[in-house]
Amino acid sequence: MKRETLDVKRDNARSVCVAILLLVAVVCLLGRPALAQSQHGNQTKKTLSPPQDVRAFDTPSDGGGSVTVIWAPAAYDSAATKYQILLSEGLTTDSATMKVVAEFPANQHYVRESKWPWWTRPARGDQHQFTLRNGRGATLTNGTVYSIAVAAVLTDDRGISQPLLVTPQPNWVNWNQINNLVLALLFGGIVFYAISRARTREIFLRRIPGLDAVDEAIGRATELGKPILYLTGAHDMSDPSTIAAAVILGRVAKRTAAYETQLLVPHRDPMTMAVCQEITKQAYLEAGKPDLYKDDSNFFITSDQFSYTAAVDGIMLRKKPAANFFMGAYFAEALLLTETGASTGAIQIAGTDSDHQLPFFVTTCDYTLIGEELYAASAYLSREPVQVGTLLGQDIGKGLILCILAAGTVLAMLGVLLDAQWPQLFLDVFKDVK
Amino acid sequence: MTFAERMLKIDRRLIFLVIGLCTLLPLLYPVGLPIKISPEVRGVYDYMESLPEGSVFLLSLDFDPASKPELHPQSLSLLRHAFRKNLRVVAMTLWVSGTGMADQVVTQVAREMGKENGKDYVFLGWSPGGTAVIMNMGQDLYGAFPVDYSGKPTKGLPVLQGVTNLRDVNYAISLGAGNPGVEAWYVFGKDKYKFELGGGCTGVMAPGLYPLLRSGQINGLIGGLRGAAEYETLIGQKGKAIAGMDAQSSTHLAIIVLVILCNLFYFSVRRQVKHQGHSGL
Amino acid sequence: MIFLRRQVPLLITLVTGLVFAVQYYVPHPASEQMLTSVTKWLQIIGGFALVLGVSSLFHVHAMKIRRKEVGWGYSFVLYVSMLGTIAVGLWSNGKEAIDGAMTSFGWIYNFMMVPLQGTMFAILAFFIASAAYRSFRARSREATVLLIAAIIVMMGRVPLGEYLIPLSGDLSQWILNVLNASVRRAILIGVSLGTVALSIKIIFGMERSYLGGGKE
Repeated sequence: MKRETLDVKRDNARSVCVAILLLVAVVCLLGRPALAQSQHGNQTKKTLSPPQDVRAFDTPSDGGGSVTVIWAPAAYDSAATKYQILLSEGLTTDSATMKVVAEFPANQHYVRESKWPWWTRPARGDQHQFTLRNGRGATLTNGTVYSIAVAAVLTDDRGISQPLLVTPQPNWVNWNQINNLVLALLFGGIVFYAISRARTREIFLRRIPGLDAVDEAIGRATELGKPILYLTGAHDMSDPSTIAAAVILGRVAKRTAAYETQLLVPHRDPMTMAVCQEITKQAYLEAGKPDLYKDDSNFFITSDQFSYTAAVDGIMLRKKPAANFFMGAYFAEALLLTETGASTGAIQIAGTDSDHQLPFFVTTCDYTLIGEELYAASAYLSREPVQVGTLLGQDIGKGLILCILAAGTVLAMLGVLLDAQWPQLFLDVFKDVK
Repeated sequence: MTFAERMLKIDRRLIFLVIGLCTLLPLLYPVGLPIKISPEVRGVYDYMESLPEGSVFLLSLDFDPASKPELHPQSLSLLRHAFRKNLRVVAMTLWVSGTGMADQVVTQVAREMGKENGKDYVFLGWSPGGTAVIMNMGQDLYGAFPVDYSGKPTKGLPVLQGVTNLRDVNYAISLGAGNPGVEAWYVFGKDKYKFELGGGCTGVMAPGLYPLLRSGQINGLIGGLRGAAEYETLIGQKGKAIAGMDAQSSTHLAIIVLVILCNLFYFSVRRQVKHQGHSGL
Repeated sequence: MIFLRRQVPLLITLVTGLVFAVQYYVPHPASEQMLTSVTKWLQIIGGFALVLGVSSLFHVHAMKIRRKEVGWGYSFVLYVSMLGTIAVGLWSNGKEAIDGAMTSFGWIYNFMMVPLQGTMFAILAFFIASAAYRSFRARSREATVLLIAAIIVMMGRVPLGEYLIPLSGDLSQWILNVLNASVRRAILIGVSLGTVALSIKIIFGMERSYLGGGKE
């Protein structure tokens, strides 16, 4: 009986325990949505420590409308954990009122992944960084104060840093590109040095067969009593290749004036035509034949690519020039022009920096000035110290680039093999950072 | 004159005839060989696929009617893909002579996909200045194009909601036949205003753009008719590019045969000259 | 006169050249705004320059017609088609289509300009073939390498080539991506240095022949 009573009591106690457990479970289950709701309102229970050493500042060296946040890596950094960037306009102390403007896995967005070179890098490479820009999900106006915070999120846990004040501002200098400026100044200095050297010493110029053939082509045209056709390319005067073509035209025109050969220069750009008219006039004046100069030798056809090509092909077939010069920039019309010229039996000399058209020029022209040879042509034809010196400067620049390429390759490989960061000190100097 | 010498100086109109036939016959009797997808075309496709719905996709149709056979199929495929992904399409051109054609292609695909002008897409038309237009758009899109091609003010168009300049563009593709084209969009656009850029170009220009591709300056390249055919294969919509691939195959093969033949004749003539030289001695 | 023709343009070149070289390093919106304004000026000046071009075109062809030079009839066709297109363009308000209906300007665009331009571009294929036949000869070791590479790339870029020689696709990809891209980069480096050197010379007035010939 007693035993029975004890059993009954034990059963009752067990029932009470089960009931309590069930009650706790029900309360827990009922409580879950409430917790989830509070997390939604940025008031999660804070078991996850908030990101440490958070710094926020205006993104340096930019045109404004952007802020950067930096914070220390944490033990919980993994793909499962997420970082959120919270933002609100004005002064805020309550993170609940802040809007999530970015979210990403916690093992991403390190300073080392950013494009900052070492001289503008605001923190060590292992620190986290996020640059928030105006436009995508957030509006950042220059001069307006914003509160920004970083939150770490792992399932239900959320740790939020103290909001910091930050004001986006436009900057006057892009310090990231200072290496570019230094290199440009260095190259400028080299060119000036080379010019001064060329003024005092004789400098060797290697033969460029295409330019040696200029005289031959003009001479042949004179013998045959046929004109010379000179094209300045598809671009306008803002393109250095067109300027180079115009400069070479001056030298060619001087010789055609001396040989009293007819010169035809059809143009695609009216401004280039006006400039080339002046150049040709001056060349005839310098050759002592101003009376032979005709304004009509430079004429405009059309700026449309294939209409121009058809017109020039027509000139080639009707007038059968003895020599065709193709200088400057060209596109798909290159082969249509040169192949027609070849069919008329003219000597053809091309010079272009349009590398994509080089195969066509090389195949169909007698001589081709490849890339920078177009720029060297002026020096070669005039032999003026300024022009020759510039060539020397270019060669020194090219030598420097070759050395940097070799050293950079070796250092980059060492960096990978030794897992070292120091080669980056050198590599960053030659990196194009925007 | 020997046979080889005569063949080396063959009338070029005969070569034109061979090429003409090699183009025409496969178009009349297509074979339909399988097309392998290159990584550069897949680069464009994959990025388009990764864009979420409502992303801003800018398509600059920088070509004129001359390049229509190669670039028109590219634009059709890209627009079909963009509309299928429900992207917000902003189309334009930097080539005045291509404006009418660009308008036609955008309107045609939008109608086909049931898209509404101003809401799902906009054709901005052409604005003078070439590369300067890109810079102006980088500063203020509405300043560069105050009205669209149909004359409607661009400000307030639902398709341009949240877009103020090129920085707000998620992906831009320039289908370029020259200058301004892909390179200009990189130098004056992506480089300054930081948006992802892809390219499409004529077959002649494609090798020249590989350095941009290799250095990541563009994330993909659709080169010529072949590129267009690959893109048509990727989106599963056969078009003129796939149809033209047989013609391109046979033309390439004809040129290879011609080159081999000309070299055989050339060596034959050279051997004869050498032989005559020796016997002369 | 020399002052206006030489010194002033050189001064403008020096000042604007230096200002816009510095502008590249200034990210401030004011600097961007300045660049935008100047590009707009360029567009306006470019528009006026078109007058120069058109007047030159009219003049050259008027002379041909007046002198009854060989092919003067083509000059007449040019006059008629140019003035006709301008008139039709103005009549159609510069639009190719209004509410889906093709205008007369649209007709000229679709049925004259598009096929004519397409034809010009299509000629390229024929010219490539004839140029290849005439010039692509293994005259030297370098030319032979070029020839082999060209054949591989031509095979690898079309389905038939890949079908006949399956390796040609990957090989042509490698040639384009590695050999071609690196050589083009080398050319680009040379071109860029040449461009920078020429720009320096122009900015500092050492190269002035583009203003109209040699020295004063």
